[in-house]
Amino acid sequence: MSKGGIKDKVAIIGADMSKFGERWDKNQYDLLVEATEGAFKDAGITKDEVDAAWVGIFYYFTGLSGTLVEDALRLDGKPVTRCENYCASGMDAFRNACFGVASGAYDIALACGVEKLMDEGGSGLPGFKIFGHPIYPLPSAPAMFCMAATRCMHEYGWTKEDLARVAVKNHENGLHHPKAHFKSPVTIEQVMKAPMIADPLGRFDCCAMSDGSAALIITVPELAESYAHSDDYILVKSNAISVYTMAPWYWPSYDFTHFPATVKACEMAYKEANITNPRKEIDLAEVHDCFTITELLNCQDLQFCDRGKAVEELKKGTFNWDGETAINPSGGLKSFGHPIGATGCRMITEITKQLQGRAEGRQVPNAKIGLAHNLGGAFSVCSVTILGKNE
Amino acid sequence: MIGIKSYGAYLPKNLLSRNLISKAWDFPAIPGSKAIAGIDEDTITMSVEAGLDCMLGIDPKTVDGLFFATTTQVYTEKDSASLIATVLDLRENIITIDFTDSLKAGTTAMTRAIDTIKANNDVKSILVIAADTRTPEPSTMWEYGFADGAAAILIADDDKLPISIEDYYSISANTTGPWKRTEQDKFIRTFEPKTDAQFYFNSMRNVILELLKRNDLKPYEIGHAALYYDNPRMHARLAKSLKFPQGVAQNGLFFQIGDLGTPMPFMLLISALKRPKPDAKIILAGYGNGADGILMQVKDKNMVKELNKTHVALGYQKNMEALDNYSIYISNKKLLDKDRYTRKSSAVIVWRETDSIYQMYGNKCKECGLIQYPRMFTSCFKCRTTNNFEKVKLQLKGTIFTYTLDHLIGGEYYETPVPRCVIDLDGGGRILLDMTEIKNPENNVKIGMRVELTFRRIHEGAEFINYYWKCRPKRGRS
Repeated sequence: MSKGGIKDKVAIIGADMSKFGERWDKNQYDLLVEATEGAFKDAGITKDEVDAAWVGIFYYFTGLSGTLVEDALRLDGKPVTRCENYCASGMDAFRNACFGVASGAYDIALACGVEKLMDEGGSGLPGFKIFGHPIYPLPSAPAMFCMAATRCMHEYGWTKEDLARVAVKNHENGLHHPKAHFKSPVTIEQVMKAPMIADPLGRFDCCAMSDGSAALIITVPELAESYAHSDDYILVKSNAISVYTMAPWYWPSYDFTHFPATVKACEMAYKEANITNPRKEIDLAEVHDCFTITELLNCQDLQFCDRGKAVEELKKGTFNWDGETAINPSGGLKSFGHPIGATGCRMITEITKQLQGRAEGRQVPNAKIGLAHNLGGAFSVCSVTILGKNE
Repeated sequence: MIGIKSYGAYLPKNLLSRNLISKAWDFPAIPGSKAIAGIDEDTITMSVEAGLDCMLGIDPKTVDGLFFATTTQVYTEKDSASLIATVLDLRENIITIDFTDSLKAGTTAMTRAIDTIKANNDVKSILVIAADTRTPEPSTMWEYGFADGAAAILIADDDKLPISIEDYYSISANTTGPWKRTEQDKFIRTFEPKTDAQFYFNSMRNVILELLKRNDLKPYEIGHAALYYDNPRMHARLAKSLKFPQGVAQNGLFFQIGDLGTPMPFMLLISALKRPKPDAKIILAGYGNGADGILMQVKDKNMVKELNKTHVALGYQKNMEALDNYSIYISNKKLLDKDRYTRKSSAVIVWRETDSIYQMYGNKCKECGLIQYPRMFTSCFKCRTTNNFEKVKLQLKGTIFTYTLDHLIGGEYYETPVPRCVIDLDGGGRILLDMTEIKNPENNVKIGMRVELTFRRIHEGAEFINYYWKCRPKRGRS
């Protein structure tokens, strides 16, 4: 890694998200306006103060290029770039925006993400007819992660009930979030009896299809002090992305019990943020929980516990909202759904609010360092962002 | 000497009991069952299976031609033989041709293969494959007969062969029945079944009598007679009229697997050779707008027995499974109107990646030796060296490392959920394949399970038929 890095060079001065859910009556422009207006207001700026924008969008039908931001906000020809990096699209937009301000090229940047999934109908992620190679098999998204679940059950002896506990925890957390898609608790029995999507994952093991958007306003710390959050702007401690193969099923000897991209990205992020004991130092984390198995393996790969021990720690309450390392205190993808381009920015927004002590009803006590994590594709792309209070 | 060097066969996994047909339509009961192709099978995929069986232990690069016979070709413009030859990894400088439109296309292809070898010094062997998937009109008596399968025979010029070909003779007869018009007809039609039977009797009898006469043979000198038939009663009448001794003209197959169409004479021959009589004369006869008769002789009984031992027994006949109900059959035959799923495809990609997609070649890293798949990836998974691979043939069998049962599927499948299996191939290479021919996958798919690769239809993206490999629980391919 180069000597440069991003640590303490970027400040978040505004953050907000739209309501997540089946937003039938709103389009992608509406959602983006909902999120960005909140963020502008939070920062105490107008859109005209934005110098450049990056937007995370996964699907072509949500919008190609940066024009979606222009057509929603009319930034009068300012630079806008669309970022696509699977489920890490939103967080990668944020990462690129960070470079934009840290380099000195721009004073204020907008990092946002949006996805309008529900216009395509509701049975699984759309687009699989046109993705990728025309001949080689393409499993559904849950099927990809199930390959890891099957192997973990074999290696670690985890059960379907163990996986269900992740869903129960995250649904419980989501109850307290005003912007969540689902605000309903589920029981272990409900999770286990739900219709199967891809064996062994049932409907409640999978995150839902949702619409949503989130937005962040960033600048450099020197300038942050002249905006609304002059006392409690949030600092970017590190920002890493790791990319591995789209087709791990062809990777000889790959064990399917860890996600190499998560391991690599957090290694980079911890080094830059100077974190040596993640479990102790990180107070809360928004961890990619597209499927229940994903959260468990990510907790291990992020070094919140040893390999094979995630279920044991989950049962002990380590990952509860008030546990040693709060995992998905917002309710995670399980409660918000996964409008792909929006999710990364939604997580960073959540961590920002928590560190500012403004996470009403779900505030993790005394949160100083938080982590946001996305894992996309077939565990191919992982982004990790670490944020800290300005102390 | 020109003769048969090897043979192989393929029967699909499914058997439909005739009982289910008679129950469905309240028809008089007929005993037995018939072989039914899966929804991901057609004459091309079944021919690949029969070809793989036939070519066991033989270098595909030594074969000089592939003649394919069927009445149910997948395309009417674009041949099937070239695709089958490609998947079987035959050379490029060979002769490929489709013989179609008559049920005797199999035996006709065989006689033309013999001629081609005779006429060309540089053509030493030709693989003849016949396959059919004739769909009978539901609720007709055809439904009792028409069955699916494939058989392959390798004709060669060699000093030592298990079976020699002595003579052959053909007649042509313009009989109207049965037929199927190119544009108008979805199903085979006929004018009058009784005259069809008479046409069959006349052509078959005449061709065999002439073959006996030309070779100065008496009926009792024939050891095995593999005579095409679609009606067991007519077959018995024919054998009796030709004065073949009891047991010479075998007739059990119709009851066991049905009327396979063009591969039927080959299947009868392979079945008869299960118990080869030493030095026996053999008559093989095909029928359809005339007839072909081929006279052969067992030259080396032990070589025949060796073929039987190493190859799967009559196209996995022992390893078939009865369908639970008639509706699965109707659905597999696409006789129900359903929306069909199409993924995008590209004829260019399929052509560019033929060795990886069809022929199952992988890459071996010249730096670290790791064998990997597919060939489109340009850097090694392990040592990360770029573009430093040699092409290696992967094995068509392996062990499941992990899997899932996918309910979120689009497309035509044998059964859902679809097992998506990560497989470590024997000898190296890891691959993702869908599993076919699996009942109750929840209980029957396991980590560590042994599987075989089988060539199947996968979808009709870009409006052509896209084929790829799937895996199946071991059926016993050697």
